[in-house]
Order: sequence, then structure tokens, then C-alpha cells
Amino acid sequence: MTSSSAPSRKALSKIACNRLQKEMVEWQVNPPAGFKHKVTDNLQRWVIEVSGAPGTLYANEIYQLQVDFPEHYPMEAPQVIFLPPAPLHPHIYSNGHICLDILYDSWSPAMTVSSVCISILSMLSSSTVKQRPADNDRYVKNCRNGRSPKETRWWFHDDKV
Amino acid sequence: MEGGLGESTSVPPPQSPSCSGNGANDAGDFECNICFELAQDPIVTLCGHLFCWPCLYRWLHHHSHSQECPVCKALVEEEKLVPLYGRGKTQSDPRSKSYPGIDIPHRPSGQRPETAPLPDANQFANYGFGFMGGFVPMATARIGNFTLATAFGGLIPSLFNIQFHGFPDATVYGTTSGFPYGFHSFHGGHAHGFPQPSSRGQQADNVLKNLLLVIGVFVILALLCW
Repeated sequence: MTSSSAPSRKALSKIACNRLQKEMVEWQVNPPAGFKHKVTDNLQRWVIEVSGAPGTLYANEIYQLQVDFPEHYPMEAPQVIFLPPAPLHPHIYSNGHICLDILYDSWSPAMTVSSVCISILSMLSSSTVKQRPADNDRYVKNCRNGRSPKETRWWFHDDKV
Repeated sequence: MEGGLGESTSVPPPQSPSCSGNGANDAGDFECNICFELAQDPIVTLCGHLFCWPCLYRWLHHHSHSQECPVCKALVEEEKLVPLYGRGKTQSDPRSKSYPGIDIPHRPSGQRPETAPLPDANQFANYGFGFMGGFVPMATARIGNFTLATAFGGLIPSLFNIQFHGFPDATVYGTTSGFPYGFHSFHGGHAHGFPQPSSRGQQADNVLKNLLLVIGVFVILALLCW
């Protein structure tokens, strides 16, 4: 498990706590299709089960997303990674890091866990090949001592998948 | 983001807001798009998205790389934000939403257009004019026009009124402070019950105030010279 316990994780601010509680309630009332929140008493780390959408390369496969919230959520993006085994996808590294702009530069505080989940499922669904990113080995080696994907300087070049 | 958009478009047909027990969803229309609470110091962007002022300020100044609406990415200009002033509490406690270490300035204030003209007051002024005009037998050409017009009463104003409407730019008309234009619109307005849009009406109102002042001075001068 890489970067599963971020070293300097601060407790959620009051605003972050309130917002996450609201998101949790909304998720329970109206969960996004294809996702299941695994109930824990930890508001700051959500583990979510993703089912590959029917009719896509990932149909009938189940993966786990780990969402960690920073102290100043939603001003700062949550850290979202796949727990191993991560799906084979041109934008998903073998250590579970996901190359998706809304998780980094294009994050907006109006986004929610639910909307992020839908974006990730959409990214999976539009894939045409099951393969790792070209630079997978180099990247994973660089991240070895538990670096968060939020510290990566991502380069978003592919808007098709 | 999709969640936010979906929320605003898929709202069920309006029901009476008081009839449902589900308070959380009913208040949804007035929840800040950042903290998801009932907006505090509410402010609306030109694209129509509602935020708490402290939330939006903090996002734009301390976290965002661009001046974009968090919901729809439209450009956000601070001087074009619209505050919402409801009834209820007039002044919120600035400490109630505290972002540690960040000094949040006052919420931008509303841009208030001038008050609408009062038709009654103008009517009254008009009679006053007519009366005073009668006392100025030998004045400048403009004053001459004035007395002429008042003498002809309802006949000439309609002609002048056409002239006024043909004038293309309300601001030009305002700043050149066309003595005669203001005057015509005055009569036209009186005769036709303020047909112009209110912005022009306000301009006319201002010109009229100046006009009244100038005429008053003329009358006093005339009396003195006489």
C-alpha cells in the first residue's frame, strides 16, 4: 500500500467536517450508480467500491478507491487513489495513482466525492485498451517512499480517455 | 461539478416550501456551492451561482489559480458580484464564519441605481415653472422658447417629445445638459405620463433640478434689473 498513511495529515477543519457530513448524507440518500461506500467511522478517509460499467472493458470487475480529505477540503482537492490491484488503464499507474486533471489542477470546491467518482468511472469506461501508462515504471519508482499523487507535477495531454 | 449542475437542473417542480419536512433539500436552492451550508453573506456571480462571500473570497484569493466560477468556470469579476440582502439579520457576526489566518474583506456592496422619479413632485414643479415663466418678459432666446412653449401648452410638447425620443444617446443628452432638451422632455413627460424608460426619466429629473435652479437665478436677476 503506497501512500496509504500520508505523513503529516492534519485533522479536518470544522468547515471540512460539516461539508463531508453533508456529502455523506447525500451519498446515503442518493449514491452514484456503480459505487458503494464502505462504512467506517473515519470521515477523513473513505473507501469506495467501484464496479466496472457493463459493456466496457471493466465490466464485472470491482476495484477500490481510497479518498483522503485534506484539512481544508473542499478548498483543496481530496487525494484519490486506487487500492491494489489498480485497474489496467492508460492513465492509472500500478501504484494506484490516477492521472486525472480534476484531482489536481482542475479541482473546484463545487465538486463532490460523488462527482469525482463519476468522472473516474467515465474515464475507465472510455478506455479502449487495458494497459499501463507508458512511463509507469519510472513514475512508480519515483513515488516509492510513499509520495502522494498530489505532489506529482502532472501533465494532462490526453482528453480522449 | 456534474453533481452541482445536476442539482440545479433536476429540481422537481416547485412545491410550497413549507409543506415538506425535508429541510435539507428545500434549502438546497440557497446553499453555498462551496460549503453546502445555507449561504452566509450570500453573493451571486453573474453566471447565477450562489456562494458565501467568505467561501468564494477564500477560493479565489488563496486556492484557485484562476478567476473562475467553481461551478461553471465562467470568469468571475469581483466588482460584478451581486450581494443578496434578505430580510432577517442585517449584520452577520464576522466571526461566525472564520477561516483561520485569512482576513476576509467586506462583502462587495450592491450597485444601486437611482430612485425612480416621483410623478407627483414633477407635476407640482411644472406648475411652478409656468407661473414663473410668465414673469420673464425679456430673457434669452432659450427662455423665450420656454415661455412660448408654456404659452402654447399642450400643442408644442408633443412635437418636442418626438424630438427627444429621436435623440440617440441618453448619456450624451444628460451631459450636454441640453437646456432645451431637458425642458422638452419635461413637458413631453408631463403631457404623456412619463412614457420614457425610467433611466431617461431619471436623467430628465436631474436636468430638471438644474433647470429649476437656473431659472430661479434668472428670475431673481430679472426682478433686480427691472
